[in-house]
Amino acid sequence: MTRSVSKRSSWGIHAAQVGIVALIALGWELFPHLGILTANTFPPLSRAITTILTDHLFARHALTSIGRAYGGLTAAILVGLPLGLLLGGWFNRFQQALEPLMELFGQANPVILSHIVVLFFGIGTGTQLFVISWLSIWPISFSAINGVRSVDPQILKMAASLGIGRWQLFTRVILPSAAPAIITGIRLSAGYAFIMLIAAELMGATTGLGYVMATSAETADMNSLAAAALVVTILALTTDLFLKQAGKRLVVWRYQGGVD
Amino acid sequence: MAPHQNPKIEIRNISRTFSHTTVGSDGSREFTALEDITLTVRTGEFLAIVGPSGCGKSTLLDILAGLSPATSGEVLIDGVPVTRPTLNRGIVLQGYSLLAWRTVRKNIEFGLEVKNIPKSERRAISDRYIALVGLTGFEDHYPHELSGGMQQRVALARALAYDPEILLLDEPFAAVDALTRENLQNELLRIWNETGKTIVFVTHSIEEATYLADRVAVLTTNPGTIRQVVDVQLPRPRSEGDIRSTPEFGRIRHSLWNLLQNGGAHA
Amino acid sequence: MAEPMPKQQSAISSLLLRSSGIIFFLIFWEVSSRMHWIDPYFLPRFSAVITELWNLAEDGTLYSNMIISSARAIGGLAIACVAGLPLGFAFGRWFPATSAVLDPLLRIMSQVNPFLVLLISTLILGLGETTKFAVIAWVSIWPLLFYTMTAVRTIDPLLIKTARSMGISESGLLLKILIPAALPTIFTGLRISAGITFFILVAVEMLNASSGLGWYEHNAAMNFEINGMYAGASVIVLLGFLLNRFFISLERSLFTWRAPVEFLLGGAKTATRLALWRPGRVGIAAATLAIMGLFVSGSFEIVRVNTERANSLAGIDAGKHARHLGSEVDK
Repeated sequence: MTRSVSKRSSWGIHAAQVGIVALIALGWELFPHLGILTANTFPPLSRAITTILTDHLFARHALTSIGRAYGGLTAAILVGLPLGLLLGGWFNRFQQALEPLMELFGQANPVILSHIVVLFFGIGTGTQLFVISWLSIWPISFSAINGVRSVDPQILKMAASLGIGRWQLFTRVILPSAAPAIITGIRLSAGYAFIMLIAAELMGATTGLGYVMATSAETADMNSLAAAALVVTILALTTDLFLKQAGKRLVVWRYQGGVD
Repeated sequence: MAPHQNPKIEIRNISRTFSHTTVGSDGSREFTALEDITLTVRTGEFLAIVGPSGCGKSTLLDILAGLSPATSGEVLIDGVPVTRPTLNRGIVLQGYSLLAWRTVRKNIEFGLEVKNIPKSERRAISDRYIALVGLTGFEDHYPHELSGGMQQRVALARALAYDPEILLLDEPFAAVDALTRENLQNELLRIWNETGKTIVFVTHSIEEATYLADRVAVLTTNPGTIRQVVDVQLPRPRSEGDIRSTPEFGRIRHSLWNLLQNGGAHA
Repeated sequence: MAEPMPKQQSAISSLLLRSSGIIFFLIFWEVSSRMHWIDPYFLPRFSAVITELWNLAEDGTLYSNMIISSARAIGGLAIACVAGLPLGFAFGRWFPATSAVLDPLLRIMSQVNPFLVLLISTLILGLGETTKFAVIAWVSIWPLLFYTMTAVRTIDPLLIKTARSMGISESGLLLKILIPAALPTIFTGLRISAGITFFILVAVEMLNASSGLGWYEHNAAMNFEINGMYAGASVIVLLGFLLNRFFISLERSLFTWRAPVEFLLGGAKTATRLALWRPGRVGIAAATLAIMGLFVSGSFEIVRVNTERANSLAGIDAGKHARHLGSEVDK
């Protein structure tokens, strides 16, 4: 598989990619108008966009969801990252003891978790935040643990030969070395966070995009469904893209090619 | 460049055994990497250590660097026992071990940061060593953008930058192609000439040892002991002419080769 | 700062250490419920949950739901494999230009929220088993597809060149070089897909079904059968955990594996193991038969349960129970 793609063909590929997406968007808009798809079950794109931009109620739901998703993710990073770093770098015994438990915790389905958490916190943003944070903490922790543990031993040896202190070793060598793995973990968690968000809102909320999706599906309000779907998809995509770029920027020296 | 007579490094009866919890292939639970090594390195001397693979050469270097404790015996540097790594010894490993996220300059300055040298001075020092290893113009490149030989030069510069009195090199040129290796060997000799440091150079190539060193210590394997220390009375600078083709070079090389026969095993 | 090489932990003490976290957690669970640190209505004792599980096992509910869920999972995953693997190969190897162009589109499609897919699927395909299989397959296909594409793309070209120089046929190349070389990465994709399958299966059953583990847990929650809810939840979590572990150990024994080297921060040295295990033809056949057996028995069970429900709950739409709490329309 040739890796070198000439500039011209690279542009050609990009153009084709944009073209396809544009074609689909165009189809979404035109087909309902042209009657190829019934406008009731498949409202045109423009209507969905109008709803997103002008419907205040919808906007409120959207913002609530956004707050929950990003809030949960941030909380997960703030807790999970230090936890993973500590366990991976310092408390090796604890890490061995806790890792299976953490794996178990990470298995919890957002729907199941919602059921349980609702018992304690009731229906409301608190539950969603908790569920999203809880489920996002573990991938981030694991990626931190693995990142720390897979530092090149040769580099550690070299740094140790300078008589470097433990803290300096951690901040100057281990942390930068683990950075790519950690960022990948955060990207992964961000992806899950949006899925969790919808699940949690479907299960136990009276606000938010998940709720909108559920009710609009029940009432066959295809437009709201489409609008909600659009917003969620765009959110997930832009977050992923943003993190990918941030990762490239921070870790300019080694972008992990890979599956993505 | 006659080395001073004062002993810089005194290795006294160093032994190092490793124990496994699983039984080794010969039924033993212990592996003796080094046994009763005694050796003295003079200030400003270039000492090479050769031996077959697995004979504990790297272990000895680790002990000299303070990275690994000996099971018995002691190492004195300037009369002071070695207990842990310090900045008066610099180690250069085979795998470059460069910090991939730092530029060439920042890599070289790493030791200086650990030494808490102020930022203003750091730049001047790194400039000097970048020039010393011939990498001017590449200061802001990242390691993955450099060739193997260049990376090794960065590793060298980094070890030199914080000005340790002793340089320990563990097969630094093994991963580099033959042509680059020759260049790097000459670079090393030039740097040694200019800085007057004490160098301990581990290699499995007797040719490299003969070319570079003042003396060559031949290590045996299992257990690792010093078979003999051979004087290399070749004129310096070694890079002049084709010294590798001279009969004298051949003679010394051959004597080393002889000592390493039988896998360097005990007689 | 460096220590002498620490002795390897014995296998038993290592196992003890690794289980200690979970054990402490369970003890804490039991105690905090007993001591009423947490309201035992909200968090029944661990022992109570176990008892409930035992009851479920005894009266066959556990088996029934488990096998139903297994059938759906296997079916969905199988569809994903059958579609995803050849497609991945095609995109990775034979149509690289097409795949490059389609790549962003595929990525967008993979990011579409699975619950949205569920909702739309339900609207289009109704509440039957088809929806469930469709949704599970859709969600599971993406990791498989992407990992297969990457696996095929990153096969060492030297391997192919060498084989071609021996005059190998196209099918020979595929079977003897491409597939084995791509297999480790594909397997990782399979592992991830399996995890996602299980996850979405449970979610789908909760929102859209009248049988299966997910349904059981959801139903118990809706009816405030707290013990049952926790029992169902425990089974699901445990199964997911075991599934993941199973795949990881399978991955390790099928493909060469090296553990990380001891590092200087005082970590215990992990064992270095090189294991390469090739299941024989018998092994593979047996495994395939077992999986098919699970699928078939599960399918029978699904049919049985559905007809039973249809007969006994005539008139009530069994699949449409309250989808979320807080809706006024509560059933």
